[in-house]
Amino acid sequence: MAEKTKAFELRTKNKTQLLEHLKELRTELSSLRVAQVKSPNPSKLAKIGTVRKAIARVLTVFNQTQKTHLRAVYSKKSSSKIPTDLRYKKTRAIRRRLSNKQAKSVTLRVAKTATNFPQRVFAVKA
Amino acid sequence: MAGKKVKSNTPKQDLSVSKSKLTSIKAPAAATKAKAAAVAVKKGTSNKSTRKVRTSVIFRRPVTLNNPKKPAYPRRSVNKINKMDQFRILKAPLTTESATQKIEVSNTITFMVDMFANKSQVADAVSKMYEVKVKRVNTLITPRGEKKAFVTLSPEFEAADVANKIGLI
Repeated sequence: MAEKTKAFELRTKNKTQLLEHLKELRTELSSLRVAQVKSPNPSKLAKIGTVRKAIARVLTVFNQTQKTHLRAVYSKKSSSKIPTDLRYKKTRAIRRRLSNKQAKSVTLRVAKTATNFPQRVFAVKA
Repeated sequence: MAGKKVKSNTPKQDLSVSKSKLTSIKAPAAATKAKAAAVAVKKGTSNKSTRKVRTSVIFRRPVTLNNPKKPAYPRRSVNKINKMDQFRILKAPLTTESATQKIEVSNTITFMVDMFANKSQVADAVSKMYEVKVKRVNTLITPRGEKKAFVTLSPEFEAADVANKIGLI
């Protein structure tokens, strides 16, 4: 196993390679756990930490790349046809508010009066 | 007879064909249809329905239309991964005296196991991890809140061999 797994190195790998790597790491971790119980060797015990973090890194890279690919695929589609976990999250209340366009929309009559009779500003000459 | 006047060859029957009769000869189906339509207009089209025989006091909803799901888009972009796989279930084997005794005597290996794994999941996990056939799993929850599983292997497999392979000895 490499001294330290680096995320940018992992990003070059493809999906199946990452999953294989993950499986190797996990089997290694399970054997380390056996050693932890049977004959605690300080070097092995230290390795547990690094292996756990390596597993975390692989999973992070895997999930991140998966999500970015999916977002790229769905970006061409209209916003109502995207899976809900790829949409913006914000808060529940905000998602139910009127959109900016909806809030600003105004009747034709009101729009015309606004353009023709805007708020006038006057200044008093000293 | 010679003196008789030769009558014109007009038949006594009126063989001239009227329009209505013409249609009836040429298209009898149309005529019956027209007749049926006339009857329907006069009497209405609802058939006299017989009452359904009900053999039970209980009314059960009849089978209604059930369209299969055809979502326009998946709600989850990615399907959930099953996180309860063999690596998570089997935490570590036990190497206590009683555990080593069990290996030799009863062909069982004891594992500390994830609390939320059930016996069948444990059996699956062990068979996947160590390529063995599991005969039986007994579980208990220790006072520490961890689950302990006693996994009996089927007689073809030697627990001692498997223990060696894992590194328990």
